[in-house]
Amino acid sequence: MHKYVIKRLIMLIPVVIGVSFLVFFIMSLAPGDTARTILGEDAPIEAIEALNEELGLNDPVLIRYGRYMVGLAHGDLGTSYKSGRSVFTEVMSRFPDTLKLAFWGMVFAVVLSIPIGIISATKQYSLIDSVSMVFALLGVATPNFWLGLMLIIGFSLHLRWFPSGGSEGWKALVLPVITLGTGCMANITRTTRSSMLEVIRQDYIRTAKAKGVGYRSVIYKHALKNALIPVVTVIGLQFGSLLGGAVLTEAVFSWPGVGTYLVNSIKAKDTPAVLGCVIIFSICFSIVNLCVDILYAYIDPRIKSKYK
Amino acid sequence: MAEHDTNYTLEIKDLEVRFETVDGVVKAVNGIDLAIEKGKTLGLVGETGAGKTTTALSILRLVPDPPGKITGGSITLEGKDLFSYSEKEMEGIRGSQVSMIFQDPMTSLNPVMTVGDQIAEVIQLHEKIDQKEALKKAMAMLEMVGIPGNRGSEYPHQFSGGMKQRVIIAMALVCNPHLLIADEPTTALDVTIQAQVLDLMQKLREKYGTSMLMITHDLGIVAEVCDNVSIMYAGRIVEHGTLEDIFNSTSHPYTEGLFGSLPNIDNRSEQLKPIPGLMPDPTDLPAGCAFHPRCKYCKDICKSRVPAVTKLSDTHMVACLAYEEGTGVTLGGDGHE
Amino acid sequence: MENKKAKKRSMAMEVCQRLARNKMAMLGLAILVVLVLCAVFADVIADYETKVVAQNIANRLKGPSAEHWFGTDEFGRDIFARIIHGSRVSLVVGLISVSVSLILGGILGAFAGFYGGRIDNVIMRVMDIFLAVPSILLAMTIVAALGSSLVNVMLAIGVSGIPTYARIVRAAVMSVKDQEFVEASRAIGATNVTTIFREIIPNCLAPIIVQATLSVAGAILSTASLSFIGLGVQPPDPEWGAMLSGGRNFLRDAVHLTLFPGLAIVITILALNLLGDGLRDALDPRLKQ
Repeated sequence: MHKYVIKRLIMLIPVVIGVSFLVFFIMSLAPGDTARTILGEDAPIEAIEALNEELGLNDPVLIRYGRYMVGLAHGDLGTSYKSGRSVFTEVMSRFPDTLKLAFWGMVFAVVLSIPIGIISATKQYSLIDSVSMVFALLGVATPNFWLGLMLIIGFSLHLRWFPSGGSEGWKALVLPVITLGTGCMANITRTTRSSMLEVIRQDYIRTAKAKGVGYRSVIYKHALKNALIPVVTVIGLQFGSLLGGAVLTEAVFSWPGVGTYLVNSIKAKDTPAVLGCVIIFSICFSIVNLCVDILYAYIDPRIKSKYK
Repeated sequence: MAEHDTNYTLEIKDLEVRFETVDGVVKAVNGIDLAIEKGKTLGLVGETGAGKTTTALSILRLVPDPPGKITGGSITLEGKDLFSYSEKEMEGIRGSQVSMIFQDPMTSLNPVMTVGDQIAEVIQLHEKIDQKEALKKAMAMLEMVGIPGNRGSEYPHQFSGGMKQRVIIAMALVCNPHLLIADEPTTALDVTIQAQVLDLMQKLREKYGTSMLMITHDLGIVAEVCDNVSIMYAGRIVEHGTLEDIFNSTSHPYTEGLFGSLPNIDNRSEQLKPIPGLMPDPTDLPAGCAFHPRCKYCKDICKSRVPAVTKLSDTHMVACLAYEEGTGVTLGGDGHE
Repeated sequence: MENKKAKKRSMAMEVCQRLARNKMAMLGLAILVVLVLCAVFADVIADYETKVVAQNIANRLKGPSAEHWFGTDEFGRDIFARIIHGSRVSLVVGLISVSVSLILGGILGAFAGFYGGRIDNVIMRVMDIFLAVPSILLAMTIVAALGSSLVNVMLAIGVSGIPTYARIVRAAVMSVKDQEFVEASRAIGATNVTTIFREIIPNCLAPIIVQATLSVAGAILSTASLSFIGLGVQPPDPEWGAMLSGGRNFLRDAVHLTLFPGLAIVITILALNLLGDGLRDALDPRLKQ
């Protein structure tokens, strides 16, 4: 089992290399002169040339990438064109705020969605089922930034219960977390429900009943563990959407996280910063998926025995 | 039969089960009588769709409630009326007084629980012992079905089909039920494994004195393990008797057809004689005798009159108009083999 | 050959019948039809120059009225007209970006599935790398590099959707490959690539149709998201997400600026999801009861 974990951790390295190459390559397609953007349109040509030379921007793509990779290996994500500081520092200083948002968003989503999904499945076609399915459909269809705006209008501007921006105190966390987590919650609810429905139809559930296992035990002991297997996978995948959604949520609530930094960096054409943000996000996503895979192996003995 | 009440593990009288579906009302079981004596095995024979599994599930009251409903009759287990029990009481009975094993062993075990835990669960549900003790007993039971006890910590996917079925048998018999219901327990297994499993079941039954309801469509298995046989068609029992009655004095045209459709090893060139036609649509059963569209002795009266049960001997019963007085239906010259 | 065609036609009919029985899916379909009509006849419903683009500061931020059903925005433009024309943008982006994903992803998947071995390995590793980046971030990066415009948005969303279709087509090709191989070993001559394609398409049509419907929904959502943070469609193009971005500054007093474009997005995506779910159920062979 430990071998499997270590093997997967090592496999993260080629992924990080691949992602960094992909993103680097995309950014290198950008038209326009970086030095000119930094120094301004009116800067003298010599200054522009000098800066291009200094930043190594005249070298071919692969060489520039090579240099970047060497830096990456040392944990150096380059220097921000805009602020002149280390991208790593810039991103990491904002990372805890984004992580806070993403974490609570996922907790919010999972804690609510799994029970609702179970109840929906066990009381199929009841009122609770219909209502929660309608909400789930709406949750999936609603853009999270619009939900955020609507929540601000209702709870911030009119009811004044929660602030509409900033990140001070737990009150500031409520609306952004709801905004971010709702889409995930809708997806996980639907998955839990359909997975439970599938499992309840299985032969081994009938066997359990024929043994005299009571209803509660059938659902929570026999069915649930089996039903959670696909749900866990979906949770992992949803985390990616969550990270993307965090960018939008931060924009709506002026949340000082990596997402806001990313958007500002894109607008300022601060390539190293953009690269740094995307790479960090990808590493985060990959680690979460790795955790999901490990959890998967724990829940499903068929997978576990493959990796013993 | 009434005087022998205490000799019967199971008595079913006039059972009726209906399913209400979008396509119509499915009359799965239409008034059947079954009785199993203590320690004996009753074979319930019929093609797929005859209502055998539904009958079995009715005994455990596990017929899926929407859409199924038991609409009539009574089931008595060891003299006690099962329909009078609450759901909680039924849970107490399932697995401990009546056990059922199903057709497909590959999917009948919970993939995320160890085999030992699944057997121990049955024990703990019905006996007041702690988990350690239950596990010990579970392992002992595994040994009894021919599986090393220490394999109790393994998961179902680590066992072959035949071994899974043994585990299921262990689970079913570990609490010493009065009645074991086996629904086509060997159909999904290889032929060689079939024999082993049947053998095992016989051994255990003899040891514990368990009565058995063996549901099957395979007459060979009937000959091996059954004491009495009931032939079921379209939700009704069309013939019932001891093994000798059914095999040597076959009476109902359907039973005759079942035997006739077996290939004759002594005369390989002889053509196979399948029963023409198909089992009727349970939402639209034929009037009169349900078998009449496929019966080669069918007369007009068969199309409108439902046959009553005719007693041919103390042990042998048949439901066919050919045995009733004054119907004019005959079975030609070869009604009895 | 004739038999096969007849069988396919009757299967298609059966799928359509099953879909028709699904009321929610039909509702989604109906909404989509209305949407498409709005997009096609946008110019007839609301003239572009006068209503969508022309600014009329005196008329700004007026609430819903008989003249302006959804009110006017911060530049005095009629919101209803902008939403109608916005449907055009959304539909175009949705269809084109999904087509890009489908074609590029499909080709990659077909190669991977058909040739197997090393080529399969390489292609799938590359797809895994794409998938390691959350899709909207990937789209953002592409737009960041190439600049904010409608075309770049379509390209960006299209590219980020490639791995999904690569997987679907690869799976379909691999399942057919096993069958075709047997035939091929009996046939004289090399396996005809066109024949393979004729077999592949029916095999993956079902999951692709379902996925495409849901992808269009995702694409519309992504476009709105990108425009919301200023990376997508540029003003004065009427795009629903961009309209929401503009309305942000007026949340307190002019809710209608954010309410209606948002509702348009929700309803569109809801309709596509209902249809997609319905298609998935109708095409699921297991649901035959």
